[in-house]
Amino acid sequence: MDLATLLFWIIAIILVGSALLVVGMRNIVHSALALVVLFGMASGIYLLLNAEFIAIVQILIYAGAVTILILFALMLTRTNNISTNSNPTNRQWWLAAIISTLVGAAIIFAVTLSQYSTVHAGSGVAYGTSACALPPNNVVYIGQLLYSPTCYSYVLPFEIASLVLLVAIVGAIVIGRED
Amino acid sequence: MAWYQFSWLILFGPLFAFVAIIFGTRMWDLATRPREEAEATPADAAHAHDEAEGETQLIVTHGPHGEEVVLEDDEDPKVPRLTMGARASGYLGIVVVALACIYSWILLLNTSGVINIAPPLDPRGLTVFSYDWLNQGTASYSIAFHIDNLAIAMTVVVTTVSLLVQFYSQGYMENSAGYARFFSYLSLFTFSMLDIVFAQNFLVIFVGWELVGLSSYLLIGFWINKRAKPAEDRPAPATAAIQAFITNRIGDVGFIIGIMILFAQTGTFDFGTLADKTNPHGVVQAFVNSGNTGLLTAAMILVFCGAIGKSAQLPLTVWLPTAMEGPTPVSALIHAATMVAAGVYMVARTYPLFAAAGPEALGVVGWVGGITALYAALTALTQTDFKRVLAFSTISQLGYMFVGLGVARGTEFGVGPGMYHLFTHAFFKALLFLGAGSVIHSLHHAMHAEVQDMRKMGGLAKYMPITAITWLVATLSISGFPFFAGFYSKDNIIALAFDQQDYGLYIITLGTAGLTAFYMLRAYILAFGGKGGGFGGLWGGPYRGEGEPHESPRTITIPLVLLAIASIIAGYWTGFFNYVQPINPSAPNLNLGEVFTNPLTWVGVLVSLVGLGWAYVLYTRFELATIHNVVENNALLRFLHRLTLRKFYIDDLYDLLIRYVVLGISHIEAAFDAYVVDGIVNGVAQAVTGLGRSVRHVETGKVQAYMVGFFGGLAVLAIVVFALVTFVK
Amino acid sequence: MLTLNHFLVLGALLFCIGLYGALAKRNAIAVLMGIEVMLNAVNVTMVGFSFFNTVKPYSTYLTGQIFAIFIITVAAAEAAVALAMIISIYRKRSTVDVGEINLMKW
Repeated sequence: MDLATLLFWIIAIILVGSALLVVGMRNIVHSALALVVLFGMASGIYLLLNAEFIAIVQILIYAGAVTILILFALMLTRTNNISTNSNPTNRQWWLAAIISTLVGAAIIFAVTLSQYSTVHAGSGVAYGTSACALPPNNVVYIGQLLYSPTCYSYVLPFEIASLVLLVAIVGAIVIGRED
Repeated sequence: MAWYQFSWLILFGPLFAFVAIIFGTRMWDLATRPREEAEATPADAAHAHDEAEGETQLIVTHGPHGEEVVLEDDEDPKVPRLTMGARASGYLGIVVVALACIYSWILLLNTSGVINIAPPLDPRGLTVFSYDWLNQGTASYSIAFHIDNLAIAMTVVVTTVSLLVQFYSQGYMENSAGYARFFSYLSLFTFSMLDIVFAQNFLVIFVGWELVGLSSYLLIGFWINKRAKPAEDRPAPATAAIQAFITNRIGDVGFIIGIMILFAQTGTFDFGTLADKTNPHGVVQAFVNSGNTGLLTAAMILVFCGAIGKSAQLPLTVWLPTAMEGPTPVSALIHAATMVAAGVYMVARTYPLFAAAGPEALGVVGWVGGITALYAALTALTQTDFKRVLAFSTISQLGYMFVGLGVARGTEFGVGPGMYHLFTHAFFKALLFLGAGSVIHSLHHAMHAEVQDMRKMGGLAKYMPITAITWLVATLSISGFPFFAGFYSKDNIIALAFDQQDYGLYIITLGTAGLTAFYMLRAYILAFGGKGGGFGGLWGGPYRGEGEPHESPRTITIPLVLLAIASIIAGYWTGFFNYVQPINPSAPNLNLGEVFTNPLTWVGVLVSLVGLGWAYVLYTRFELATIHNVVENNALLRFLHRLTLRKFYIDDLYDLLIRYVVLGISHIEAAFDAYVVDGIVNGVAQAVTGLGRSVRHVETGKVQAYMVGFFGGLAVLAIVVFALVTFVK
Repeated sequence: MLTLNHFLVLGALLFCIGLYGALAKRNAIAVLMGIEVMLNAVNVTMVGFSFFNTVKPYSTYLTGQIFAIFIITVAAAEAAVALAMIISIYRKRSTVDVGEINLMKW
């Protein structure tokens, strides 16, 4: 077992455990804190997968912004007994459990059937021809893929995504505004 | 060839006139109509707008000389004077039909060899206009027009009578509201009739058939505000129009079924193809050679049903007498000279098909015509309504034409005799109607009411000599008096029946000729003569109406004179038989010498003279009241009088049939519709509503319920896929 | 030795845990947190695919990571709008229980 595998197992166990805590805690603020752990561990997974940029973004946006947003929302929608039972389940929780199990089982079943499920990392490094030189690292590469006007890039979807964000900002302000 | 090739102009000219009047000059007329004066009574104002007031019984309006005239409420609406737009409509219609008339006369004179400006027409005719409307597999539906000698002869009749009638209408319709509309309808009718005449296939003739039905409907019901007169047994024009339309539809059902049978067997509508003996699509190959003559006979009898409806033969005679409620020029043009003859023309056009069918087909044509001729003549004997006598005489004469077509079966005569009578009849019958219109017009001015009852006329020859003399010419012509047109054509049919050893039809037609002579002279004497008049009662006599009748204006008398001349000379076109059948040049022509040496001719003349003489004796020697008393005091005569006056109770029979059978079935169907059909429809609707009401509870509005549905469905699908992958592989 | 399998199974586990949270929780914010977990599960899967990509033409090499970036973007937008909605609803009805929010009922 090499270091990467060991790290993977440690991170994976914490990840799944924190996920279970998110849905299982009776205090919703604790759930939110478990969510922060989950985001951090997910970032570790990305590091294992050589995705440094995603890992940083994960920390910045999820662990930073989204969690704060959720905590603010929790504060603004204060319920009475926040410490004892602020995160109850509804009457169909057993049905939800069955459905979740089945869906998860189906995905895992499909994964085990796949012929790609056992491939190893770096087994096929074969860069295609391009007008652009291969970037020195992952961050530059992603930047080139997102913004480059000359190389192959996702600049148009990126612009559209910015529009989505703009609309979301305006929408959030309009919806959340006091009348 | 160009002269022939452009003859579709004759056809489309009236259509152009119709459109131009409806969208052009009529709009002008409506826009420039004088507004009613402020002091006009509401009833008067309503009148000007073609809307009769329900309660107003008497309407004060201004007569032709500015005096106040009290009219009955059921008079047609009056206009004080015509606008320029209305006059222009009339002129436009007349000019167009006059050009068409000249063109068709040129064609006639050229094809009959009188003038020579174009080479002779191909005996099989010429397609002048063709448009492939739809090509579908093996069947093609084309709008095709075609001329041959038969069509040219008919075109001449249609355009000539139409021209004279339109000219006449200027005077007759002068005071009638909707003057422009009237001329547009006349143009539409002319177009529709020419469409039948030019038709090259059953599709086009059927379209024309329905179009003349439509224009006939519009024109019969032209005076939409006129009321029914139950005392005179006269329905409202609107009712009469509906009756005519519906009765025609009954015949058309048979017509279209016949067409469909022919089309289903041969795959073509084209007359030329159908009649072609060598063409595999012809009826001879498609029916006769494959042993289906019976089916062809049935199809042709069904096609003849259309002619029965359009030409008012038994049992569909009822509409033509009531159609006389329309304006008199309309009666002359449509219900005497041209449209009702469309049935005859259609049979003539499809004559090769009738000839190819079994002998029963033409037998039916002949016998329906013969029985109708006799029935209508008997009914006409006692009618007192001036126009109705003429209506029945029209039915009777149309019967003659069908006899002419029917008895000529299998001989070299072909369509000649029937078409010849159509040709001559068109002129003298139009004359009779226009003369009657002249009388009605004049009496209208004298009595300020529409008088058509002959018992209120009498001695009119003194007041309106031109009308009287032309009417007498027409009477003699229709009665078969020697040297008049009707004599040649009618006598030809009677003699032909004898030659064909069809003695039943011979007796019927011969007897009918006598009856015709009787009732026509009776009508003449009742209207124009009477006891104490000149020439032994023929000219003048006591006038039984009120007021002072005058001769009609020139616009009315000029057509009368022209038609009177035509009513005489039309009989001297001895080459007619050969002319209408160029494909069969052996058709014998009318031989005047033979006509006058044949003893059969003199039998016919004798019979008609007996009829004329009896009428002369009866109605010039005795007062009308005296005759009436004699009839009323004799049980047998009274019975016969009632029987014929009530048209052998055919109208009442239809009344009973419709009231009890048709309406009974309708009630049953209404109940079926109300309970069964509506029940099914409402039941389905209620079932859907109920289902929706119970199923809508699924829509809880809770987002998690929807998520459960979505992911639950995914889970179920996952199980299914798992099962398939694992167990089926 | 790590294989793609590890990451996919990890993603599946996270996904179904998040699904349970989204389906079974009363609090709207808890539901939202469940959804965030699901989105992260997908991100893990995407980045995993990107890393273990066996067919590597230049242009598709990092497609999975690009996907992840867009998912993060949309998730952020979604979180902002959803929380605004929750606060708005809370102001009107003084509750964040999704079981009681049924205005779109029949």
